Amino acid sequence: MVSKAELILKAQTRQERGKKRSAKLRKDGKIPAIIYGHKQEPQAVALNEHDFTEIIHHGKRLLDVEIDGKAEKLLIKDVQYDYLGKRIIHTDLIRVDLSEKVKVQVPLVFKGAPAGAAEGGVLEEHLAQLEVECTVTEIPEAIDVSVKAMKIDESIYARDIVLPAGVKLVTGSEVLVIACHVPLVIEEPVAAEAVAVEGPVSPEVITERKPKEGEEEAGAAPEKEKK
Amino acid sequence: MAMMPKRVKYRKSQRGKMKGNATRQNYVAFGEYGLQSLEMSWVTARQIEAGRVAASHFLHKSGKVYIRIFPCKSITKKPLETRMGKGKAEVEQWVACVRPGTVMFEIGGIGGDVAKRAMARVAHKMPVKCRLITRRHTG
Repeated sequence: MVSKAELILKAQTRQERGKKRSAKLRKDGKIPAIIYGHKQEPQAVALNEHDFTEIIHHGKRLLDVEIDGKAEKLLIKDVQYDYLGKRIIHTDLIRVDLSEKVKVQVPLVFKGAPAGAAEGGVLEEHLAQLEVECTVTEIPEAIDVSVKAMKIDESIYARDIVLPAGVKLVTGSEVLVIACHVPLVIEEPVAAEAVAVEGPVSPEVITERKPKEGEEEAGAAPEKEKK
Repeated sequence: MAMMPKRVKYRKSQRGKMKGNATRQNYVAFGEYGLQSLEMSWVTARQIEAGRVAASHFLHKSGKVYIRIFPCKSITKKPLETRMGKGKAEVEQWVACVRPGTVMFEIGGIGGDVAKRAMARVAHKMPVKCRLITRRHTG
């Protein structure tokens, strides 16, 4: 197991690029990654897949990475997953200073059941992550939002969320985060009505030629003449 | 009523081929839990509707169901005991092309246990093997 507090991730510089070489890396239990930022040359590296996945599961963003014996502070910028979302296939890491301010997306966690739920209200989440600006060391793992006091037809906007100290909101203050409302009830057709509806319904065809006035009569006349 | 497009450019489409895995629509975007396809198949409008009904009946107005696929491909079929030829047959059904990794349904606003049971009912109506996934919070 990887300890959350003290972890130094080891990375090796990779010279070989391309999808075949990356596929071989993944087969050997490594993740291809790229390091950039601070106006330095981008550096292609390979990370241990198991260790990096553990870090992601722990919700850590700031990493101590030892690249060929040299330690660096890096922030996870982007993570790419395979088509099923199970395995990490590539990651972007950005160089940071500990005093540097960065813009990051932080997940929102909605706590409690709304007061409006007793009257048939349902919560509708409009925003799952909030963009905030803070120093690298102060990035919160998640922001808790209490929805206990929400009644029917009440909403919480980005401006209403209480942020931890040192964290500034970047997302627009007018952005809707969560709302509580009574769901619309769509009446399902009775069996007899359903049969009637299922009949000749077909979509409108955009490219279909529409007969002009008098075209049918003009088209029918020559056939008669042939006979 | 089963889903179908309101307007189309051409009434009938060729059958086509489905290849590879889903490169988009392969993560939970709206709700908190999703039903992901593990196989490739056509999913008919009736099957989608059956899934929606199964979920909404189980949830009893709680939570919100999102349908992420839409049947926009028309499938034709000749009537029984008909000789071959005489042109392409009439449209019989509308289908959505689903590739491995496609998230077909999503549920939000309810707990994980209820969502799991609701999605199991929806999965029974689908012509593909499915798995339950949760929203990913990274970045």
